Amino acid sequence: MKEGYRCKRVSWELLIAVVLSLSVVQAVAAAELHVASDTLVRVFERDTTEGEDKTVVPGYEYLQVDYGSLKEKGLSFHIYGWGRLDLASSGYYDDDNAGELLYGYFEYAHPGTNASAKLGRFYVFEGVANEAVDGLALKSDVTPYFTVSAYGGFPVALDSTNGRDSDSIIGGRLSHHLASWYDIGVSYKNTENDGDDAEEMLGVDLSLNLPFNVSLFGFSARNLDTEGWAEHSYELGIPVAGLLLRPYYQKFQYEDYFGTGALARNPFLFEAATGETLEVVGGDITWPVSKAWELGAKVKYLDYDVRSGSSEYYSALATWHGEKLTQIGGEIGYANGTAGNNDYWLGRLFGYYDQIQQILPNGFVTGDLVYADYNEDIFGESDSLFVSLGAGRRFLDDALEIKLSGDYSSDPFFDEDFRGLLVAKYVFDR
Amino acid sequence: MPKRIINPVVIPLLCLAFLAACASMKGGMVFPVKHPAELEQGKRPTCTECHEARSETLNYARYNHTAFFADTHRQEAYQNEQLCAMCHETSFCNDCHATRVELKPSLKNQTDNFRRMPHRGDYLSRHVIDGRIDPTSCFRCHGNPKSAITCKSCHG
Repeated sequence: MKEGYRCKRVSWELLIAVVLSLSVVQAVAAAELHVASDTLVRVFERDTTEGEDKTVVPGYEYLQVDYGSLKEKGLSFHIYGWGRLDLASSGYYDDDNAGELLYGYFEYAHPGTNASAKLGRFYVFEGVANEAVDGLALKSDVTPYFTVSAYGGFPVALDSTNGRDSDSIIGGRLSHHLASWYDIGVSYKNTENDGDDAEEMLGVDLSLNLPFNVSLFGFSARNLDTEGWAEHSYELGIPVAGLLLRPYYQKFQYEDYFGTGALARNPFLFEAATGETLEVVGGDITWPVSKAWELGAKVKYLDYDVRSGSSEYYSALATWHGEKLTQIGGEIGYANGTAGNNDYWLGRLFGYYDQIQQILPNGFVTGDLVYADYNEDIFGESDSLFVSLGAGRRFLDDALEIKLSGDYSSDPFFDEDFRGLLVAKYVFDR
Repeated sequence: MPKRIINPVVIPLLCLAFLAACASMKGGMVFPVKHPAELEQGKRPTCTECHEARSETLNYARYNHTAFFADTHRQEAYQNEQLCAMCHETSFCNDCHATRVELKPSLKNQTDNFRRMPHRGDYLSRHVIDGRIDPTSCFRCHGNPKSAITCKSCHG
């Protein structure tokens, strides 16, 4: 089937599905409507198939519609996707237009309970699952001590890999919890591509409240195809004298974590073949000094089984909070070690001035600066500088926000790169 | 009854019946659809400003959006997606966690400089180093065939 014909057919099917869906949900008493639209127009220059220094002007639309019982449990419909047009036909993109339906589903949430059902295209973030599924998902508490969820359908991630015939994904999670003391879950996921196993994972997740307000969180995932433990990630949350300490340990076995089935793609397919094991020991500290000031620091030590040497990362940040969203902050970090084949210092300064009474009572101005200094030159350059300035204003009782920003980058890939972005953000609620 | 009718009709009906049965049982803490109190848009919430750190039903302190919460929120989301959904629509998560998006989060939301987002600035140069140091950190967002399209032009 030709790509263009398939897109048109999908578009008509989608339109009919949306109209029918809204007709069904209309039957629900007191249906609410929420529409959010982000329209973006970028402008920059690139060397393309059409020539050098061509002006590229992509226009993006991100559209979200929610309809039905949105503030109370009940029946609702949700859809979100994006599209892009190359407005200048610059030849920069492989296709002049692109887009994706990120989700579109009916949801029924049973009043007075945590039970819910989703039908359509939706995301599952649970246990071993970080998936988009075209299918059905169910979730419910079973007594105050257990929660069970299950999903099944077609994996969206594989819809462009040899078609969708004989593709499938099933999975679920069963958890046992006792008030706020602990929650232990077991999750499973099986993905098939063209009738063959693509991925089969089993996971265990744990949260445990210990004395003195200390908490333990952990997650382990086993790849049942490669029969190895893909990941172990465990951390403590330790509040001490107003600070929060978070020491953690992680271990990844690349062959099991990245896998080699139909889901695997480069560069991860290459990493899986190395047989590497990565161990990470680290910690971060956050300190909300006052309502205005917030400090943080993190340190990370990475060690490898196959590769010689190790790596470290250190960073510290400070943020001052003013009224509304006004903030000024900075962060400095350092990454070094033999694994990266290079070290770098990274610094960031940002400011966001919200609702400037004298000039922009209904708007903001903002700036961002990111600087990286590399130990070894990359393409003959020893550093990268990125600067962005922007402003915005709200109209129509804050329903419409227009934002304009420009940025400049000088780095190993671009000598002097200027880019502009205009955003119109509109929210409609009824 | 032909098998081709049974599976797509009967199985979902059985699942819904099971769900209805479970829903009729008394469960644990029930999460509302939306957080009851209106929270200021854009500001990172500190749940313990209003809630005790640990109640009988929930460890509220766990969900405080500290300075590094954007880096560390994975397990909270994987264990309690319904709690996140009280404030965050899936479209918010899709800035980073999606089958396919073209714009990196800090570009799509370029003026939201108060938010902690990955890949700020010239990440094309830095990702070479970060990817060698810890490729597992890339995999969570770029690890499926559609999201790996971002990598394809250089990595094949």
